[in-house]
Amino acid sequence: MLPKFSYIRPDKLDQAVAQIQAGNAAIHAGGTDLLGCLRERIIKSEKIVSISGLEKLRGVRETVEGGLRIGALTTITGMAEDPLVRKKYPGLAMAASEVASPQLRNQGTLGGNLCQKPRCWYYRGEFHCLRKGGNQCYAIEGENQFHAIFGHDNICVITHPSDTAPVLSALGAKVQVIGPGGGRNIAVADLHVPPRDDVRAETVLDQGEIITHVDIPPPPAGLYTSYRKVRARRSWDFALAGAALALVMDGDRVVRASIVFSGAAPVPWRSREAEQALAGNTLSDDTIDKVCRAATAGAKPLRENRYKVPMFRGMLEEELRKARLQEKA
Amino acid sequence: MATRDKIYYTEGLPVPETPDLGTQPAFWKKTDLVGKPIPRVDAYERVSGTAVYPSDILLPNMIYAAILRCPHPHARVKKIDIAEAGKMPGVRAVITGDSKEAKGVKWKYRDMEVPLFDSHCRFEGEVVAAVAADSWYQARDAAQAIKVDYEVLPFVVDYERSLDVSVPRVQEKGNLLSEDTYSRGDVEKGFAEADIVLEQTYHTQCELHTPLELHGCVANWDGDRLTVWESSQGVFAVQSRVAEALNLPLSKVRASGHYMGGGFGSKLWPGKYTVISAMLARKAARPVKMLLSREETYLCAGNRPAGTMRIKAGVRKDGTITAIDFDCIGPSGAYPAGGVQLVDWLARDLYLCANVRTRGRDVLINAGPARPFRAPGHPQGAWALEQMIDELAKAIDMDPVQLRLKNVPLKSQAREGTPPYTSTGLRQCLEKGAEKFDWQASLERIRKFNEQNNHLRRGIGMGACLWVAGGGGPPSTVVIKLFRDGSINLNMGASDIGTGTKTIMAQVAAEELGVQPAIIQIENADTATTQYATPSGGSKTVPTEAPTVRNAAIALKQELLAAAAEDMEVPEDELEYIGDEIIWSRDAAKRLRITEVSRLKKRGVMIGTGYRGPNPADKVVNPFAAHFCELEVNILSGEINIIRFLGVHDSGRVMNRMTFDNQVYGGIVMGIGFGLTESRQLDERQTGRLCNKNWHDYKLPTAMDVPLEITSLPIELDDPESNNTGAKGLGEPVTIPTAAAIANALCMATGVRFTRAPVSPMEVVRKLSERKEG
Amino acid sequence: MEKNDHDDKQGNGYSRRGFMQFIGVGAGVVGASLLSPPLRRPLKAEDVGTIFPASEMVKVRLAVNGTVHAVLVEPRWSLLYVLREIIGMTGTKIGCDRGECGACTVLIDDVPRYSCMTLAVEAENRTITTVEGLMKGEELGPVQTAFVETDAFQCGYCTSGQIMAVEGLLRKVESPSPEEIRLGCSGNLCRCGAYPNIFAAAGKAAQLKSK
Ligand SMILES: Cc1cc2nc3c(=O)[nH]c(=O)nc-3n(C[C@H](O)[C@H](O)[C@H](O)COP(=O)(O)OP(=O)(O)OC[C@H]3O[C@@H](n4cnc5c(N)ncnc54)[C@H](O)[C@@H]3O)c2cc1C
Ligand code: SF4
Ligand code: FES
Ligand code: FES
Repeated sequence: MLPKFSYIRPDKLDQAVAQIQAGNAAIHAGGTDLLGCLRERIIKSEKIVSISGLEKLRGVRETVEGGLRIGALTTITGMAEDPLVRKKYPGLAMAASEVASPQLRNQGTLGGNLCQKPRCWYYRGEFHCLRKGGNQCYAIEGENQFHAIFGHDNICVITHPSDTAPVLSALGAKVQVIGPGGGRNIAVADLHVPPRDDVRAETVLDQGEIITHVDIPPPPAGLYTSYRKVRARRSWDFALAGAALALVMDGDRVVRASIVFSGAAPVPWRSREAEQALAGNTLSDDTIDKVCRAATAGAKPLRENRYKVPMFRGMLEEELRKARLQEKA
Repeated sequence: MATRDKIYYTEGLPVPETPDLGTQPAFWKKTDLVGKPIPRVDAYERVSGTAVYPSDILLPNMIYAAILRCPHPHARVKKIDIAEAGKMPGVRAVITGDSKEAKGVKWKYRDMEVPLFDSHCRFEGEVVAAVAADSWYQARDAAQAIKVDYEVLPFVVDYERSLDVSVPRVQEKGNLLSEDTYSRGDVEKGFAEADIVLEQTYHTQCELHTPLELHGCVANWDGDRLTVWESSQGVFAVQSRVAEALNLPLSKVRASGHYMGGGFGSKLWPGKYTVISAMLARKAARPVKMLLSREETYLCAGNRPAGTMRIKAGVRKDGTITAIDFDCIGPSGAYPAGGVQLVDWLARDLYLCANVRTRGRDVLINAGPARPFRAPGHPQGAWALEQMIDELAKAIDMDPVQLRLKNVPLKSQAREGTPPYTSTGLRQCLEKGAEKFDWQASLERIRKFNEQNNHLRRGIGMGACLWVAGGGGPPSTVVIKLFRDGSINLNMGASDIGTGTKTIMAQVAAEELGVQPAIIQIENADTATTQYATPSGGSKTVPTEAPTVRNAAIALKQELLAAAAEDMEVPEDELEYIGDEIIWSRDAAKRLRITEVSRLKKRGVMIGTGYRGPNPADKVVNPFAAHFCELEVNILSGEINIIRFLGVHDSGRVMNRMTFDNQVYGGIVMGIGFGLTESRQLDERQTGRLCNKNWHDYKLPTAMDVPLEITSLPIELDDPESNNTGAKGLGEPVTIPTAAAIANALCMATGVRFTRAPVSPMEVVRKLSERKEG
Repeated sequence: MEKNDHDDKQGNGYSRRGFMQFIGVGAGVVGASLLSPPLRRPLKAEDVGTIFPASEMVKVRLAVNGTVHAVLVEPRWSLLYVLREIIGMTGTKIGCDRGECGACTVLIDDVPRYSCMTLAVEAENRTITTVEGLMKGEELGPVQTAFVETDAFQCGYCTSGQIMAVEGLLRKVESPSPEEIRLGCSGNLCRCGAYPNIFAAAGKAAQLKSK
């Protein structure tokens, strides 16, 4: 059950910014993650500031340069179905359409999706773990089949839950943020905090900062994007292993490659090893094999999630073969 | 059969003859209403949102309850402080083990009696205190404000370790609850006679019922009479358990639940929460609504226990199964609850085999007690046995369908005196199923498909089963009332848990009385207004209640004939009932409308009472089935895509084709969950607590996880000996061989035997990469 | 661990000052809508006391199936709770209260959403449709009719949610493909497993609607 809180719904951005400064106010966009966090006492907040009335933060627009500006309040469904998104960055639409369930996609927003809390079952359950201010990570020794194989440093082994963040990161998108000290830009790739920097924070946002938009740079010629999510059941489930690809192709040669994994690490996990192995090469069987090996070479699996190593390899192999097919077509 | 004048609700319906007093009605040869795919009699209520489920009940002045539960798998409550909680806004009653209301109130787990509020908490989720407050939110707030001092005790939650010497004891007597053995013939001799002997260990995970409607009730006192509206499969079980706990006469407890949102065995009985609701309602002098949270239902509302099954079997090249040796261990939970109940039954009884030995060890762990779950023991047993049969078939190079066909039993070998089955449709299930599924041609097609050697591999697989019960039986009493306008009220205690019981019973009564089902109003599942029935479970509701309803209808007809004989002044046995009229068989001109029968007119109502007669003395009534499945595995990602499923069922007479097929679909969907996605996860190595007490982390199959093509093929055999309607149970067999059929298909697709359920993509990748490395 | 659960229980809503603040800011929120602006005057103690004592309550207007209900709610109350336990419309069901089953699905501005994951205060100024709202008087709507005819349920408890999901789908896509139907139903669990019939019902409902 939700604990008590006061509820404020400003109709102007500056009012919202002002309201959020106070104490431990929490932002309510679609609320699909926030309400769960409040109920589980993961977020302890006595004041909820709902930004759902800020209509200006909703919608997808094309920028003059040919990129897209997506309002933070755009629903996940809105992104999945937006013709511009589908045309320019099909991978983003794919990712959006694989989030949660239709109802949650109708309600959940892009901003919320980027800022959601992790789904570790200890964290969401009644375990006072490290990330909640306790002194132990339960997952390291415990039931960690859904946990990270990269970037956890054996501190906190969550996987980042967002499906949209890996694609946005691969596309080089930036979030626009407004706060008490004015606005700033943060690359999606830098938005999330690895446990070694701060085990209690998920994003670099300060209290009171609101994401207003996400800007995606214009698609370069030859851009191929995709998102793939392997999960235990086919709806309503987070990634066991997922990958966002943004490849710039020149014929059948990959000029530039961005590969960002979901279900892999405490933050959307950029696989530089895989990118390096791929960049400059054609998508031959041999390259694909090398890329897949490189991708998982640095994995640090835990007791119950060793399967993720072959799963990431296999999934990536399939995705790269798909990319090859697509380029040939 | 006579024809008669028409009134709207009897139009076109012939009426079976009324048997003489004291004789059993004949088996229906042909039916006009029974079997028809008519929509449910309560469909309108259910789709319009007007059906009032127990969780929907709103009473004036009603308040809400919440329970505080032990957060440890094993602990002793040292001290409870309710001072602060008691002062919270809206709070009207708090009860703990220290409260005077709770003194002496007991709860029973099978034959073990314990205090309702037991300070020794043996599983996470045991009740510690309860609160009632004005709003649901306030009740939860107050429950959380109760301060409890626990002495945390060492625990065991891993059932495979529960018998180790160093492990903490769940109950004082130790962790081995029972050890059952069975044997026939000589297993060692059987293995010696085999050409091939195989041995394998199989595992199934703990599965949770999680019906859509939460467990819970509304309790209200009217003077010294308690009414409980409970989401239940059996209101009479609620009545008796609550009366027993609160030391009330049965007459003072009314349990009711006309609608209920699923149970699958977990709502065969009430829970501690039911009694607690009644106690809170009394203390607060208000009606109390208690709905467990979804998380609570994962902890304390039962489960299908996990199991480890070792099976060793011998076969001769001709397909003779020479011996089966089956050993299983599984946990009841913290209290006796049938941890390995019936897990070995299929090994004992499904196939011809002279030499069988089984052993089952039921152990205790510090986790929520099991409750019967749709076909207790059977899906687990089928997971092991049906995979082993496939392995044997492969070893002797025989088609798996053929091997099973070679071993179809006509008698129950595991029962005393090997009594014959009234009908064994297993052969037909296998043959007709293979034909409908296009088994042989599919094998060929798939072999070709897999030769392309890409990352998608296909497989087909099948499994068969019987269900140990499903014949129904006494007791049951049903009353049919005829009102003076000719309309009919069917009064039965049984719940309709979604299987269509009400609809089927309306069809049975209508068939026998020669009226349209729509004219029959059903009163059910209320201990104050309907007659005793056992809970709806075990696939026994239709075979129990349908003959009883039929008997009641016949009794009513006999009563009518007797009354009409007086009016018409002709001998009773020369009269015939034809739905709305009674005619004299010697002269059809002499007739009397039933609404003109003077006894009916005077009394306003006429009653027929039916009782469930005994089952055939030396025969066994069991349903049989075979499932067939085709699937595709992505060997790179481990994902499994089920392409099509066929469920072939011998459940005797099909009472309503529409609800029949629906059951088959539902059983297959549930079997898909058992085989592929569902698994309770305890934090075994650290806290012993449940990790996945919600529908996100505990994964039921969604609309995306079931094939678009599921087919139901009934094998309708006449079974006049089973009961006078010829119906056998359906609700359980539909989910027994499903997971095993999937596993067999997976084996064909990948060449790997998946012995652990559920087979998630994680498990597929794990096994395939082991093979690569190994 | 438990301590963690209990130690914030004193967070008992906002004070009178907090409440005034809410009113101050909120007054501007009410935008264009078919509804008259919700009344957001400070509630006097006696307004509240009789219904829910000892809680700070706010008045919201919820437009459910074309009728505006003015109700006093705590800001933390879900739309689901208010529909079922306050307004008394129990056609919308509760299965999990955490966005994981779909039993509570309603349409908000024609779009299926989970009412358990929607605060009642968030549903102001929106059009809410529940399963009761699909009826024409006592006549079933086309989706409901299709559910009856295809036997698209067993226990019936997930059914209103399934019906609303299908209704929402059909308001968006007139004649969905089998795969679109499956996707449209993928936010609604049916433990009884009536999915095949639910898919059939959706197909049939599309036909009935187009008639
Ligand atoms: C059952 C379930 C399954 C899910 N499955 C998936 C899944 O498969 N994939 C996936 O990616 N997600 C999943 N989600 C997570 C998530 O709810 C959705 O992705 C959704 O997009 C979150 O958006 P929201 O607007 O509802 O967020 P809210 O709940 O409103 O907010 C989430 C968090 O972000 C903060 N926030 C919101 N907007 C802003 C902003 N503009 N600026 C700064 N901070 C902000 C909030 O304060 C809060 O802490 C699931 C959620 C549930 C409940
Ligand atoms: S993985 Fe992180 S969130 Fe999960 S238990 Fe460990 S510290 Fe807590
Ligand atoms: S009750 Fe809302 S999704 Fe389950
Ligand atoms: S009909 Fe019972 S859950 Fe769907």
